[in-house]
Parts: sequence; structure tokens; C-alpha cells
Amino acid sequence: MYLLVLANEIHKGLLHVWRYRINFLAQLAMFSFLFVGIGFLMGRGRMDAAALPSMLVGFVVWYYAFMAILSMSSALATEAQTGTLEQAYISPAPPAWIFAGRAMATIVSTTLMGGVMAGALVLIFGLRITVGLAALPVFGMTLAGVFGFGFMIGGATLAFKRVDAVGNLVQNMLLFMNGTLLPVDHFPGWMAAMANTLPTTRGISALRAIVIDRQPLARLWEDGTLAALAVHSAVYLLAGWLTFRWCERHARQHGTLGHY
Amino acid sequence: MAADRPSVEIADLTKTYPGARVPSVDRVSLSMAAGRVFALLGANGAGKTTIIKMICGLVIPTAGTIRIAGEDLQRNRRHAIARMGVVLEGTRNLYWRLTAWENLLYFGRLRGWWGRRLHARAEMLLRDLALWDRRHQTVRQFSRGMQQQVAIAAAVIADPSIVILDEPTLGLDAEATRRVRRWVTAMTHDQGKTVILTTHQLDMAQELSDDVAIMSRGRLVACRPMHELLEMSRVGAYRIRVKGTLPIAGSDADVLNGWQVTDGDDETVLLGHVTGDAALYGVLDELRRRRASLIEVAPAEPDLEDVYLRLVHAAPVAAL
Repeated sequence: MYLLVLANEIHKGLLHVWRYRINFLAQLAMFSFLFVGIGFLMGRGRMDAAALPSMLVGFVVWYYAFMAILSMSSALATEAQTGTLEQAYISPAPPAWIFAGRAMATIVSTTLMGGVMAGALVLIFGLRITVGLAALPVFGMTLAGVFGFGFMIGGATLAFKRVDAVGNLVQNMLLFMNGTLLPVDHFPGWMAAMANTLPTTRGISALRAIVIDRQPLARLWEDGTLAALAVHSAVYLLAGWLTFRWCERHARQHGTLGHY
Repeated sequence: MAADRPSVEIADLTKTYPGARVPSVDRVSLSMAAGRVFALLGANGAGKTTIIKMICGLVIPTAGTIRIAGEDLQRNRRHAIARMGVVLEGTRNLYWRLTAWENLLYFGRLRGWWGRRLHARAEMLLRDLALWDRRHQTVRQFSRGMQQQVAIAAAVIADPSIVILDEPTLGLDAEATRRVRRWVTAMTHDQGKTVILTTHQLDMAQELSDDVAIMSRGRLVACRPMHELLEMSRVGAYRIRVKGTLPIAGSDADVLNGWQVTDGDDETVLLGHVTGDAALYGVLDELRRRRASLIEVAPAEPDLEDVYLRLVHAAPVAAL
């Protein structure tokens, strides 16, 4: 039953990507242009091939965070509007699994689109990036934190409805504060401390160490980077889940689950 | 007998939304039997949808219990919900960008069905709706009536024993409404399902329902088998036909107050209630005084609309 629910959500997510393919292609183009524009600004009027790989790693993680927040805010609000959200709750499958399935569907569709986008940027700008297997567990831990944060936004959508503006604010804040554009160690102390509390910052830093600096996973474990990332992401995931469940109960108490 | 076994039982169900002064649903107890259509009627804001949403687990009750086929909804949500298929009012209930076929398969899997069994069931339902040839069209391309029929099909895809239809024919044309009615009849009488129906179309409720509950301001005003409710109103209800137009009354104390008077081409029909023979003779005396020429006096067959209006306007009263 549980695997069926997960597969069902991923299947539906991919069908939606296909049905909205023009929209998704436009979104891909927009993100690609955004990357090029940021690269151009950061390179002070030219594309700095040496700085781009590091920026691309941060940008791809930010892109996942962007999609996770989008799928948990406006997409959830749309489902409330169309009544399909309430139908999900009238199912013997635990809502937890349905939403976990939706998060996985977002990961799959974002991976497909992000892969196309990153591949195109690597080819166009001749970037040299080698993504080995060692990056996978780090990326997985980073995503756990990202989706934990997404569940917080999703919970707020269920309980307080129109939170798109908050979602947009967080998406933009992450872009500028999580080290996507500039490594966090270039920030002033107070800002670096704040940035390190965000869900993606530690993951981006660890991924750069593996993908760009070619550090082995063992080294990240020894210097405590991995442990810190694991704890950080686990806290986000747990806090996100608890927030989501609390907000879901709040909506059912107030009878506003299907409101928008 | 299956019809004797309660399928849905609610006891002292109460819902007071946070911040509200009065309960939206106030100590309502109902029992809905298998193989019957149960109509839940009431004006907007009477508490019907809140009850429906509490039965579906979408709204948490303030007090009271809900049992689905004997299972407590709060304690054993999964098993209780597995028995239900629901079409909620005012929403699409479907993914419009998916095809009819994809929607049925999605909602079937969501309820634990898969493989050949699911495909066969989806095919049977779409053929029954005459939508098999259009199964690969997205639902947004369908008419409102077709969309609603697919929504009902999605609700019953996993063959639930309880089907909840909240205003299922709202905005549908006559043909689509007839198809929904046919489905409701088949689901109960042929398949033994419990159908819980809310509607403002009282003629449809009268035609389809075996049992009826009438709500007013969150309270239960009446809950009876349909025939009993109509029978109760039949007592004292009379139809009087007189020739031509009824002359206007000359006195202020008109015993015909409260009577429904309908003028036809050659006759006038009066429909109303009296509380005993003396009152009936009083009405007849009044007609004679007005020189009305009597054609017929007969016990009237009340319809649900008469009963509903009388009960709702008489509320608050003790539940019948």
C-alpha cells in the first residue's frame, strides 16, 4: 500500500510535468537565464569560467529548494482550491505517505529538469564538474533539510492559506544568503552565523568540498562537516514534519482544510 | 438483513468552530443503514456540510462519536475511511489536466487498488458513463455534467460501501441529473451501498431517498424514513377544488390563512392543513359563505417540500 502510494504520486507528478511541459520549459529557460545573469554580474561583466562550477553547485541546490517551496505553497493552495487536497485526506493511505510521495515526485521532476538545465549550462560554458557517488549521500542529506523546510511552508499554507509571499521571500532570501552566489566564509560573522542556520547552506558547502575541491567523504566526516549537516537536516526534517502535522490539525479543527 | 445494519452511526455529534459562539452542529445523532439512500437536508448554513466533513474525517468534532460499519472513526481512521467514497460540493474533486482514465487510476491506487482489478473497474465505470471512447481526453475538456460523473466514478472506483454525495447535481443539466439519479438508485438497490445525499433539490431527494434528516441551525429537526415523514404530514392535509375563481374574503378573520391557493383556468385549488374535523368544516363554511362552488374535497398527498418547509419554519422543535 505504502509503496503504491509513493509510486502513484510520482506517476501523477510526472504526468503533470508532461501536461504543463510548455510551462516547465519556460521555467527551465528562466532559471538558465537567471544563472547566466548572476554569473555575468558576479564576473563583473564577463562569465568567469573558474567561478562558475562552484556557483552552479549552489544554484542547483537552491533550485531544489525553490521547487520544494513551490510544491508546498502555491501547488498545495491550488489543490485546496480544486478539492483534490480534501480527496487526498479521504484516503485510507496515511496523509503522511501521500505528502511524502508528493515530495518524492517533486524530487524526481526537479532532478529531470535540473539535470537538463545543469547539463546545458555545463556544455554551453564548458564547465568541468565531476559528480561522483560521494556527492549522493551529501545531496540526500541536503534535500532532507530542504524538504523539511518545504513542509513548514506547506503547513503554513494549510493553516493560514495565502502564504505565497512568504514562500517568495524565503526563496529569494535563500538565493542571496545560503552561499549560492558567494561562499559563506566571505560573509561578515553575524551574517555567516545566520546563513548557517538556513536549510541549504551547510549542504552547499559540503557539496562544493566534494564536487569542486575533490575532498573525500571521509575527510568531511572527520572534520565534523557531515555530522553537522546530518543533524542540521534532521532537525529541519523533524521540525518541518511536526509543523506540518500541527498545521494540518489546526486546519481540521477550524474546518479550513479545503479553504483557499 | 443488510438494510438493518447501521452503516454510519453518529452520536451526540457537536462542532463548535474555534471563535464561534454557537455550534454549527449541535448534539446530532443519526443512524444510516446499508442499502439505503439517506438524505441530509437543510438550508445553507444548517450544518449539513460540517456533518459530512466530520464523517469524512476532514473536520474534527468538538464532541460526539462517529462509527463507520462499527469502527470508531477517530480510533481507526484507516479502516473507516477505506469504506467511503466522497464527492464534495463546489469543488472539482479531480485533476483537470489528467484524463478521465488517469484520474480513475490515480484515485483507485490512492485507495489501495491496482493492476487488472483496478483497470477492469475503471473500464466498467467509464463504459457505464458512455465515456469509454473519450477516456484519454483531459477532464477539463469535458462538460460540467461529464466532469461531475467522472468525479462520482472516481469516488466509487474502489467499490466503497458508503458513498457520500454533497450536492451531486448542482449545476447539471437534465440529462446529467437523470444519469446521476440512475447511478444513486443502482448503487443502493442493486449494489447494497449506503448513499448519503445532501441536496437542495427536494424533488430529487423525495424520489431517491429512503430516509431523511432535516437540519436547521445546526440541530436535527426531523429524522425519519421518507414514507413515515410524508405519512405524518398527510394527516390533516387536504386539497379542495372549487369552480372558477375564489371570491375575496369579506372578513379579517379568514380561516383560509396559511392555505396555498392556486388559480387555474376553470377552477381554484386550495391546499392546506387543518387540525381536526371541526377546522375542516370551518374552512368549508367559509367557502360556502363566499359562494364558492365545491368540486372536490380530498386528503392531499404532501410532498417533501411541504414537509421540509413546515418543519424548518416551525423549528426549533423537538426532533420528531
